Amino acid sequence: MKQIALYGKGGIGKSTTSANLSAALSEKSLDILQIGCDPKHDSTRMLMHGEWIPTVLDLVRAKGDANLTVSDVIYTGYNGIRCVEAGGPEPGIGCAGRGIIATFQLLEKLEALYGDVIVYDVLGDVVCGGFAMPMREGYAREVYLVTSGDFMALYAANNICKAIARLSKRAKPCCFLGGVICNSQNIKDEYELVSEFAGRINTKLLGFIPRSQIVRIAEVNKQTVLEYAPDSEQAGIYRQLAETIMKNTPDPAKKPTPLSMDELEKLAQKYITA
Amino acid sequence: MNSKNLPKNTSRLDGCTVTGALTVTAFIKDAATIVHGPAGCTHQSSSVFHSTMLYNECFDIPEIFTSGLNENGVIFGGEGMLRDAIEEALTDDYKCIFVVGTCISDTIGDDIDAVCESYDEIPVIPVQTSGFLGGSFERGFISALKSASKLIEPDKINPADAGQSSSFERPENNRPVVNIIGEKNLEYEAESNFSEVKRLINLLGADINVRFVRNIYVDDIKKFADASLNVIREDPTGEIKSHFDNLTNIPSISSYPYGISGTTEFLRLAGKYLKISPARAIEEETENQKEMFSQFEDLKGEKISFDSFGFQKTENSLLGEIAYYAGIVTNPEGTVIPVPFYTPVGTTGVKRTLMQWRRFINA
Ligand code: SF4
Repeated sequence: MKQIALYGKGGIGKSTTSANLSAALSEKSLDILQIGCDPKHDSTRMLMHGEWIPTVLDLVRAKGDANLTVSDVIYTGYNGIRCVEAGGPEPGIGCAGRGIIATFQLLEKLEALYGDVIVYDVLGDVVCGGFAMPMREGYAREVYLVTSGDFMALYAANNICKAIARLSKRAKPCCFLGGVICNSQNIKDEYELVSEFAGRINTKLLGFIPRSQIVRIAEVNKQTVLEYAPDSEQAGIYRQLAETIMKNTPDPAKKPTPLSMDELEKLAQKYITA
Repeated sequence: MNSKNLPKNTSRLDGCTVTGALTVTAFIKDAATIVHGPAGCTHQSSSVFHSTMLYNECFDIPEIFTSGLNENGVIFGGEGMLRDAIEEALTDDYKCIFVVGTCISDTIGDDIDAVCESYDEIPVIPVQTSGFLGGSFERGFISALKSASKLIEPDKINPADAGQSSSFERPENNRPVVNIIGEKNLEYEAESNFSEVKRLINLLGADINVRFVRNIYVDDIKKFADASLNVIREDPTGEIKSHFDNLTNIPSISSYPYGISGTTEFLRLAGKYLKISPARAIEEETENQKEMFSQFEDLKGEKISFDSFGFQKTENSLLGEIAYYAGIVTNPEGTVIPVPFYTPVGTTGVKRTLMQWRRFINA
């Protein structure tokens, strides 16, 4: 079982990337479970044809966790992909980090954490222990950083990289940096910038997803690109990414090297002035 | 005698800020205290608290409530659970409710102040504690004193004429009155120390007003501002004094009296603030001290040395002074006397100390 996590700044297109990646993986007849770990809970929407599935935390709030069954929390979407949304508390109240932990513990109790690939789609601007938990507790074995050339997105990616670097100091690390995925914002020299960023944090740029109108059109039609336009160039790009990730096995000896704030700023400046 | 030479923390150091706060708020008899956090925090704190009280032969143990914060509360916010607890307490006859925050409620960001503000039937007062985030036992203790001071009648908190005008009737004899602040309610000798201070205050021709806070009722606190002097049990950081200075403008003495010269100095200072000549009281007390020492003639010329067993600095000028007056010689070869954990208060404290020394010397 491959357990991968896509971390990235909110709004960077993490959910779109995750959903399309899951869809592409499912075409390979793999059993996929996608778990959205974001209070916004829109990770699995396109896989569910636009349906907002109830979040685990909403269900816990309403029914108490003792009364929940697998069918309450897991929904089957496009191509048999099983979908879960962790959800979160109201903004500014309580601890969503603890909520993420509670969700995973519940899924484990329900014996729902199985499949060929589990895709965790995790919010990356919150880096409290709770959100780092999927990596810490060995749920997510490989972390992929979704970013664009936007400075704040790189900043969030770099922060996640710090969390992985910390975890890799453990005696038996169980979570590794898999690589960087660039979800393009059409920024000038974006490919070069994000490749250099990936190199500097001691990993590789695994995929570059160009900005494409088809993504938005598919979204309006409440579908992933893979479902809506399976023959499109963009669908091919997601398939390619799925292929790369399936083949990718992070080298445990290769430790991430997060940048300092200074270095990160200099890097961004280099491509702005160039 | 100032507290600089004294063991700084004579309070119990066990427990977190929550325990420290409870040792204040739980001694207001008609107030309830709700610990906002997991039930374990309440258990943890109140068991330290209860066992110490029982050890001090105090069986009148106050009830302490918990909001019982659980995982749901942690994830979704615990303010609702706190409200439930407050509402339950409101159905009883309490005159005031204190809310003590824990590490957990603070970590998840519950807004205890806002919840407390939304009640106006009776005062619902937040205590800034936050469990470990807030610091130590001592922090909780000081925070709770500050919070409880919100019960002092607001229209009496007038720095300009504090202690002068009052709607409360002065005692018939019109003797000035003194507040005692911050008694260590878990201390074994809290009552005898208080009696000693009261005796000295009476000696000056003044009386005790409010014991803030020990076994009193909410209404008692309202007359706080009638006093002409505050005596603080101990205030190593100066924070208690400055809080009450700002609040009421009543002058404060920052410590109970310690030792021989410390006791006469206390009378002199208190007399000054109470505008009473202390001469007669000092004379009487000096006689009393002489008479007391005369009961220990047998110890003259004995040799002793002090040992703190690593708890605090052995160098203690206060004990040296007692030895000097009693004619006892301090000498490394002498009988080993353990340095007391609690510093003896007033002349009576010195007497108790000498009785203890005698036991060691004659052993
Ligand atoms: S230290 Fe924190 S968790 Fe422990 S008892 Fe105190 S408030 Fe509760």
